Amino acid sequence: MKSSKGMITKIFGIGTIPVATLVIMLALCASKGVVMFETQGNWIAFFRAVTSVMLTTFALSINLNSGRFDFSIGSISMISSIVASQICISMGFTTPVMLLISLVSGIFFGTLSGLIYIIVKLPPIIVSLGVTLFYEGFAFAITDGYGVSFVANTELTSFPSVLNYSIIILAGLAVIIFLFDYTKFGYNYKALLSGQKVSVNTGIKEVPNAVGCYAVAGGLMGVVGFISATNTGNIQMALNFGSIGVMFTAFLPMFIGGFIGRFCNERIGYVLGAVTTALISLMYARLNVDSSIQQITTALILVGFLIYLNNEGKLKKLIKG
Amino acid sequence: MSKEKIKKQIMNLAPVVGLLLLYGVFMIMGTVKDINIAYGMKAIINQSIVVAVVATGAIFIYTLGSFDISLGASVATSALLGGIVYNATGSLLCMFLANIGVAVFISLFNSILASVFNLPVFVTTIAMLSVLNALVLVLIKVNGTGSEIAVPAEAVKALDTTGFKVLILVLFLVLCIFVFNFTKIGRMQKMLGGNEICARLTGISGKKMAIIGFAMAGIGVGLGAFVSTIYAPTLTKNTASSVGMDVIIAIVFGGMPVSGGARSKITAAVIGAFSMTFLGQIMTLMNFNSGIGQMVKAVIFILVVFVATFNQRSKMLPR
Repeated sequence: MKSSKGMITKIFGIGTIPVATLVIMLALCASKGVVMFETQGNWIAFFRAVTSVMLTTFALSINLNSGRFDFSIGSISMISSIVASQICISMGFTTPVMLLISLVSGIFFGTLSGLIYIIVKLPPIIVSLGVTLFYEGFAFAITDGYGVSFVANTELTSFPSVLNYSIIILAGLAVIIFLFDYTKFGYNYKALLSGQKVSVNTGIKEVPNAVGCYAVAGGLMGVVGFISATNTGNIQMALNFGSIGVMFTAFLPMFIGGFIGRFCNERIGYVLGAVTTALISLMYARLNVDSSIQQITTALILVGFLIYLNNEGKLKKLIKG
Repeated sequence: MSKEKIKKQIMNLAPVVGLLLLYGVFMIMGTVKDINIAYGMKAIINQSIVVAVVATGAIFIYTLGSFDISLGASVATSALLGGIVYNATGSLLCMFLANIGVAVFISLFNSILASVFNLPVFVTTIAMLSVLNALVLVLIKVNGTGSEIAVPAEAVKALDTTGFKVLILVLFLVLCIFVFNFTKIGRMQKMLGGNEICARLTGISGKKMAIIGFAMAGIGVGLGAFVSTIYAPTLTKNTASSVGMDVIIAIVFGGMPVSGGARSKITAAVIGAFSMTFLGQIMTLMNFNSGIGQMVKAVIFILVVFVATFNQRSKMLPR
């Protein structure tokens, strides 16, 4: 009896936010006479948003949960996709090779970022500011400021499809769950996360773990860069921290994922957080919502959700009287 | 003086030495390249002052160990609303008051929202960044010609002098130094940033100090918006777009610990803002392309902060 009650609570906790969002978004679209998932393009856009946001959320949360704020994830995404696309265009490689090169480049640039952090031993926020400037400058320098365009390359722009994005979602989730829940690296990560000093004193090696975290986050952002580049066939340049906007897309799903993670694996929570955000984004697109209204609405949802999370106890007391 | 103390003094002086070195390099390169040095210096002052003023106010937030990423967007919003007020009233005083009022309101809203609802300040400011960026677009669309809100250049021409802008910076700097170094507020803020639990146990109100800190930052943002409008009276969505991140860079570059606390210093903002601008100008004089210039800037930034904080290393990795 008790366990079935617990199961119901779990299912309710996991499903409420994404299901409620889906119902609200469908209703909003229906009220304007629009079918939310009308064409294949709508499905592709939805799955692309889930994939990108999920991977970015993983990348952001890996370091942020450990108290390491990393501004550089957007710049890693940009520089990895530039390196991969430049190599593939000049060598005539196929899309899977571009994905692989993006992933490897991301891991390389992430590792480099982690190495700088452990060598200079400055607060991660400062290191990430320097690294962001450096990677943005590097990307600008190697493309002479023009970015990369391969709109006419039908091979490299053939990637977007529901199947391909689904494979990335499943593979990404499986790798992250394996790494953080079933390996020594993951156990050390969790120990360091909950008590840095105690963990270090008990012999856990913090330095390789930190570099590993940056490498994993970099790899994930490499794939995000690949998804973005193969969607538009264009990679635009950003200087003076123009690349940090990518990071902001991950905050709402990260907090939603954190809440859902109370009832299941936190990583699955992040996926559902990404699904929730992607549903909202698709509604915006289908209803042609002005970008200013989009930004304000998303910010209000974020603040509203955080107000709920940080005052849950008080609210429950208030409701109970 | 012990060896340790001398080392500490040298480290403390590193940002100032860095600024003087950059100034020296700029002067030497300017002379070698035969540029108009006086004109170059004027450009450097113009470019630095907005960041210096905003960063000086922001020190009060950083001292608490807090962080505000929405400062640049706040400057843009205050400048645009100030521009709208000027166009409606024709009074520069009204514009100035609107700049300050709007900026302080935004800053206090951030702080009160975080205090009342127990939210992490950083996340509140991320949400505010999105709201303000959207508001900038809405304001331009509704009140401007579609892409800009322009204050007549003749109206601000008399104030667009280096002397006036420097005066604003100096007056604000003096006010901040007074509050920070010679009143209880500064001491309480440093204690809160250094050890929050200890500070609370001694009766210091974190919420009250946060509100004061954000109010001071708001004044800096308002002054920054005013100076920005004087310098470039045609306000667009790109107005002050890089100020937000430049402020963080300037504060750190000037030798301020990002964790706040007792080592915080008001002058870090000014030193950092001018250092960054000198560095940018040197890159331009060296004819680097923008990308390479930014890479060099990044390396120097990390190196300077690394040297300036060399005596603050702990065994564990910082977070």
